[in-house]
Amino acid sequence: MPLTFAKTGEENYIKKILGKDDTKRFLESLGFVVGGSVTVVSELGGNMILSVKNSRVALDKSMASRIVI
Amino acid sequence: MAIKIALAGNPNCGKTTMFNELTGSSQYVGNWPGVTVEKKEGKLKGNKDVIIMDLPGIYSLSPYTLEEVITRNYLLDEKPDAIINIVDASNIERNLYLTTQIVEIGIPTIVALNMMDVVEKNGDKINTAQLSKELGCMVVETSAVKGTGLRDLIGKALEIAKSGEKTVARHKFDDEVEAAVGTIGELVQARIADGSELKWYSVKFFERDEKVREKLKLDDGLAAEIEGVIKNCEEKLDDDSESIITNERYNYISKVIQKSYKKSGRGMTTSDRIDRVVTNRWLALPIFFGILWIIYYISITSVGDMTIGWVESFFGWIQGGVETGLTSLGASEWALDLIVNGIVGSISAIFIYVPQLMILFLFLSLLEDSGYMARVAFIMDRIFRKFGLSGKSFIPMLIGTGCSIPGIMASRTIENEKDRKMTIMLTPFIPCGAKLPVFAMFIAMMFPGESWVGPSIYMISICMVIVSGIILKRTKRFAGEPAPFVMELPNYKLPRFKGVAIHMWEKAKSFVKKAGTVIFVACTALWIMQNFSFTLSYVGADRIDESMLATIGHAVRWVFMPLGFGDSWAPVVASLTGLVAKEVVVATFASVGSAVPISFTQVSAFAFMMFTLFAAPCFAAIGSMKKEFGSWKSTLFAVSYQTGFAYICAFLVNTIGSFIFRGTSAVKPKVLDISLMESSSENAVVNGDIVLIVFGALIVVALIIGISGKFRSSKKYAELSR
Repeated sequence: MPLTFAKTGEENYIKKILGKDDTKRFLESLGFVVGGSVTVVSELGGNMILSVKNSRVALDKSMASRIVI
Repeated sequence: MAIKIALAGNPNCGKTTMFNELTGSSQYVGNWPGVTVEKKEGKLKGNKDVIIMDLPGIYSLSPYTLEEVITRNYLLDEKPDAIINIVDASNIERNLYLTTQIVEIGIPTIVALNMMDVVEKNGDKINTAQLSKELGCMVVETSAVKGTGLRDLIGKALEIAKSGEKTVARHKFDDEVEAAVGTIGELVQARIADGSELKWYSVKFFERDEKVREKLKLDDGLAAEIEGVIKNCEEKLDDDSESIITNERYNYISKVIQKSYKKSGRGMTTSDRIDRVVTNRWLALPIFFGILWIIYYISITSVGDMTIGWVESFFGWIQGGVETGLTSLGASEWALDLIVNGIVGSISAIFIYVPQLMILFLFLSLLEDSGYMARVAFIMDRIFRKFGLSGKSFIPMLIGTGCSIPGIMASRTIENEKDRKMTIMLTPFIPCGAKLPVFAMFIAMMFPGESWVGPSIYMISICMVIVSGIILKRTKRFAGEPAPFVMELPNYKLPRFKGVAIHMWEKAKSFVKKAGTVIFVACTALWIMQNFSFTLSYVGADRIDESMLATIGHAVRWVFMPLGFGDSWAPVVASLTGLVAKEVVVATFASVGSAVPISFTQVSAFAFMMFTLFAAPCFAAIGSMKKEFGSWKSTLFAVSYQTGFAYICAFLVNTIGSFIFRGTSAVKPKVLDISLMESSSENAVVNGDIVLIVFGALIVVALIIGISGKFRSSKKYAELSR
């Protein structure tokens, strides 16, 4: 399921990142890699703050839904 | 020969703090990714032969945003003698991702494990010797904030720079990938002069990096052969080549960390807990507007208002002193008038508002340093996105409340070209510090007691940014979805006094500098043009209508007639002099107004404020727009749009206002009383009670947006269950 459905505070593992573009590459360099863990810190109207590889990253809804957990 | 050492690392890992410590400079440090958008050079304290280069932060050597390109180009093309790779030790896994790329490019590299104080506080331990062995380069523990470990670091950096011994990457990818990269290496080997760069080029070819392909220009046969190798590997591993490499790098890093990093167990961090509250879906907007309200209340209304009195009496004292001094020296009447009224009088009219600005900036920099500003971009993204702008556009605009120029430069962190250009165009719409005195003057003179005017200007500017967003998105130039919002949020921290002090000092300095240069020259020029005719004869106050200023004003005033302030020449001239610096508008009114009465109606005064708010910014800001756009054509388009937009707004205000208020006192002409300028403090821009009401209204709007969003999302779920 897409990351947008994840519960706040729960640790999830990334199965896939959809799409093929610069943004995907940027997400990967920020630490969103297949097999890595990601936790939702906060959610605001679909936009999310995520904890990934010990850092916090904010994503808008369309980006978050491209990450499959 | 000077030795060049570059500082490279992830955004917000402390590069600029270290740069300041090493070179003794005072570059601005903020707590969000992307504060440094340009490379900066400095000399090492006590050793002039060593040049330290501060570079914008990057996550990887495959650039995503504009400032990342600067860093990559510098590292690859200008080849510093050594690289200090700063690694945020409290976030080591992500930071080492860049390190694995830097060690491939064949430049002597040393790793600075920065923010060690934070790691120790968390109770974690890092085995530096082990890490150094794994990475293949020296590792030094530092804390740039406390200044520890820097001597050791720079000593070792100089050592490797002098020896020129190139760092060789130690990491190995998976066998399959390593074989493919190796094959590519053999294919392109002949084309690469420096053997130490081979690994870097091979990996980049494997990733299909455009820049490297362009640089080496392989012939078609060779390119096809390489493509075959990549395709083969992609099929075997069922992923695209770029992702394969990224995954390999992270795999390698987690192995390294297992061996060298000892984590003490810990749950939710303090930052997480604060984020739970301040980015909560119900509280986020109310908290944000609440904080803004407190800031504006303290800086403009309560404390700020008190300071105005002090500045006034200070300048009154100077003016009096200069007058007696010059009279006793036997200065001629016109020299006395030039200095006392033309220069000291005009500049003091502007300086009255400086303390308020300083206090405002103190608070804004406190917010920045704490890490909250980055969250604001996240919170605003939701609202801005509805109107075709990204949340990242909000930061340049917030910076633009101080001065448009740093605001325009801050747009570099926006990765989408169209969004970036639109942000550059719209940032000058936000009333900058220099426009504030113009509004303050009009409010004091034309709208005494009507304190809704001040806050309404901020509201109108934000609304017009949104309206422009909607309009511009319909043009071909800016069409398309706003860019995805991806932004790293820094840890919260207590603001450091030093950082805030630097920020305040820079603001004060730039103001004094501006007053001493541009504004000083402009005031002198104004006085001359006001007192002399084009035939260069002295006209003085009696025949001011024959002066150069009046002649110019008369020539173009028909353009401004529809806006309501083209009946006399002074306002026309003032809106033109605003191009030099917006403060000069006030100076013009002060200078001309002391010689000849200038009259406005409330409606035409409001139209004038609207025109000043949106019309082309000052020359310095236009120059910075040109620099960021990279072309005069785009700049011309932006300036024409701004001025056209301003003209239409002012026209509408004047036409509709004159119609609605016909026969009332709002359309009765009133002479601007320049002597009032000194006592304008009582009704300064933003009056406390009104600020309260406006932000109260904003909070209500925010809640309505929140609630309507809630209803809409519940509908979405309804569709899903059907």
